[in-house]
Amino acid sequence: MKNKKKIIGVVLIIVAVSGFFFKFPNIIPAVDDAKAPVHSYISGFYIENAISQTGAHNIVTAVLADYRGFDTLFETCVMLLAGITALMVLSSTAKVGKKQKVSKEIKNASFSGTIIDTAFRVIVPIIVIYAFYVFAHGESSLGGGFQAGALLAIAYMIDRIIPSFNNSLGTFTEQGAAMTAGVGVFIYIFTGILPMFNGGNFLEYGRLPFGAEKAAELHVIGITMIEIGVVVCVMATIINILEVVLERTEFDE
Amino acid sequence: MSFFSMDHVPVLIVIIPLCGAALCPLLSRFGPSLGKRAVIAALFIAFIMSLVQLAYVIQSGEAVHYWLGGWRPPYGIEFVIDGVNGIIIVLVSFIGFMTALFSSPFEEASETSPFRSAGYYSILCFLVIGLLGLSSTGDAFNLYVFMEIVALSGYGLIAIGEEKGPIAAFRYLLTGTIGACAYLMGVGLLYSATGTLNMADLTLRLREVDNLPVIAVAMACIIVGFGIKMALFPLHGWQPAAHSYAHPAADPMIAGVMIKIPAYAMFRFFFCIFDSSLPMMKTVFTIIGIMAVLGILYGSLKALRYDKYNKILAYSSIGQVGYIALGFAIGNFYGIAGAVLHILSHAFMKTGLFYTSAAFKYRYGIHYTDQLGQVYRKMPVTCAALVVLSLSMIGLPPFAGFFSKWYLALGAIRNGQYLYVAVLIISSLLSAVYFFRIFERLFMDEKTVTEPDKTATSAVPAAPEAKRAKPEVPLRMLIPIGIAALMVIALGLGNSFIVNGILKTTVMGVL
Repeated sequence: MKNKKKIIGVVLIIVAVSGFFFKFPNIIPAVDDAKAPVHSYISGFYIENAISQTGAHNIVTAVLADYRGFDTLFETCVMLLAGITALMVLSSTAKVGKKQKVSKEIKNASFSGTIIDTAFRVIVPIIVIYAFYVFAHGESSLGGGFQAGALLAIAYMIDRIIPSFNNSLGTFTEQGAAMTAGVGVFIYIFTGILPMFNGGNFLEYGRLPFGAEKAAELHVIGITMIEIGVVVCVMATIINILEVVLERTEFDE
Repeated sequence: MSFFSMDHVPVLIVIIPLCGAALCPLLSRFGPSLGKRAVIAALFIAFIMSLVQLAYVIQSGEAVHYWLGGWRPPYGIEFVIDGVNGIIIVLVSFIGFMTALFSSPFEEASETSPFRSAGYYSILCFLVIGLLGLSSTGDAFNLYVFMEIVALSGYGLIAIGEEKGPIAAFRYLLTGTIGACAYLMGVGLLYSATGTLNMADLTLRLREVDNLPVIAVAMACIIVGFGIKMALFPLHGWQPAAHSYAHPAADPMIAGVMIKIPAYAMFRFFFCIFDSSLPMMKTVFTIIGIMAVLGILYGSLKALRYDKYNKILAYSSIGQVGYIALGFAIGNFYGIAGAVLHILSHAFMKTGLFYTSAAFKYRYGIHYTDQLGQVYRKMPVTCAALVVLSLSMIGLPPFAGFFSKWYLALGAIRNGQYLYVAVLIISSLLSAVYFFRIFERLFMDEKTVTEPDKTATSAVPAAPEAKRAKPEVPLRMLIPIGIAALMVIALGLGNSFIVNGILKTTVMGVL
């Protein structure tokens, strides 16, 4: 009964909101409306100046990592925070029940087999190479730190889950992973603080204390440095959450 | 420009604690309490810097602007510090620092691994960073990012709390996400109408927007977003459970400060960004006023029903947040000054009351008011602070709570809104009832407290035997409790300086 009431409430909200948008269709400007302020004002500035000012050929990267790099710093912090919180909540034995035991037979039945063993042996190195490609290419095309970090974490995850691989990439403890994620965030902050010793503002890449012919080159260096921080943080956080979850389920006996 | 000149202070207030929070887990590997010390030291530096910044803002009489990344404002993000948020930043960093100090006996007593302790400090520090950024920023989307940091660390601190913590945190996670989405949608609509995210720029460009439905929807979304975050009446569902079951040491920060800063952000939107000459503005303020009035009455009445100390305080917060919204609904200088003063005074009152709650839990595992009988003999300082803070909550003259209510009533009378004055008086009487019930339990009940029971359902283990001979609770807990009570008196006595000296120029500028 109680659920029914909730469903009626949700349906009413959806009907009211969509009804409103049908009544006022002009709330959001059309995609091809070149005169709309959202397509001309700041966007116009970015389109004209992004390449010359930041050296990034991808305007999305220029906005994300340079013009609004401060937002991205805290988006990275969200990752770190999620990892630490998952660790704190799931590793508390008082709140979460005992580990669930999974017998070796079940595990071997689901995660091993000739095809998996041989196919993933080829795939893992390719994923790692592709991760570095995505990282390096993010500046001029799609991709960047977040995706590269996730790919590296996937490579680790495959290695960790498939039994015959025997964790050949090494294992992180969940605490080590959280520390690494913290270091990743610190790389980002450090990149931001460096220009402050050279007379610039926080995250002002044009004032990084490196030699370069043009300011745009310094921006490229700055974007690359923060992307390294993002890669480390994202990879370590995903590994952290994976390890915390694996800790809850004992695979071997 | 050197590193430590005034130029960088606005951003360093956020960045130095951020370094502490990010490196805290790593440092805990080199020494068991190194991470904790790093966080406390970083928060202390942030507090000192926020004082310097406030002094500078008062002296120069104009807002400080900091361009992040060196980009000109509409294209980049900027921090803007004026009188109103300058003093709120001092408040956040001060209470953050005190709460970090206050937490350390809890972390020592619970005998967890150094890493878990470091994780706790890291999350607490992120909460402070989020609140500092939220109050510093001059960019509407950056505000959303900081709101996410605050919300996530809030979920964490609630989930690692007492036994029902994870459920309360999950509920807050669902409602909080809806709130964040609503705010983001509001900002998205404003962006679609103006093409900018910078608050000062939004103010200018919104004057030229003639598409009123967009602004109306954006306002509705923003009221819902901030309403959920600050637990304004019909949107408060997550709040009582979250405030009752959060980690006892972090609860003062969550209950005292976390719900106030969205209220400050609401002030920014409705007085600085939206055009006050719009015809719909009057309706908006009436709606906020209705929400506030219902919230004040609902919170005060609901607080009467409970015997759990934290629940009483949590429901009383719903009422107190209503006062802040009421100040915005009144909308003249006295209303806003009262609202901002109430953000400050209620932050200290609620934080202090939750400190006393945590001290009772730490010493005797007390959760319910009927266990309080004669505790004042054993914990005199804590109980004295409790009395001062409660009297201030009721609104008796020498304390801060009286003066914020006074300004609110003054503003309401100026506008001829006598209903609001009546609500203020009724709710003060109601809060007198529930606080005097606590006093009655504390001073009149015959029952003396029993020494801590080992099998008590408290999440916090009882204090070790050796502590018995020492002060009622460790000094690191006693000092924050005392300071909170003293600050309530100081704010009460110094209210005219805050209102006339700090808030007046900024608030008059936006009206």
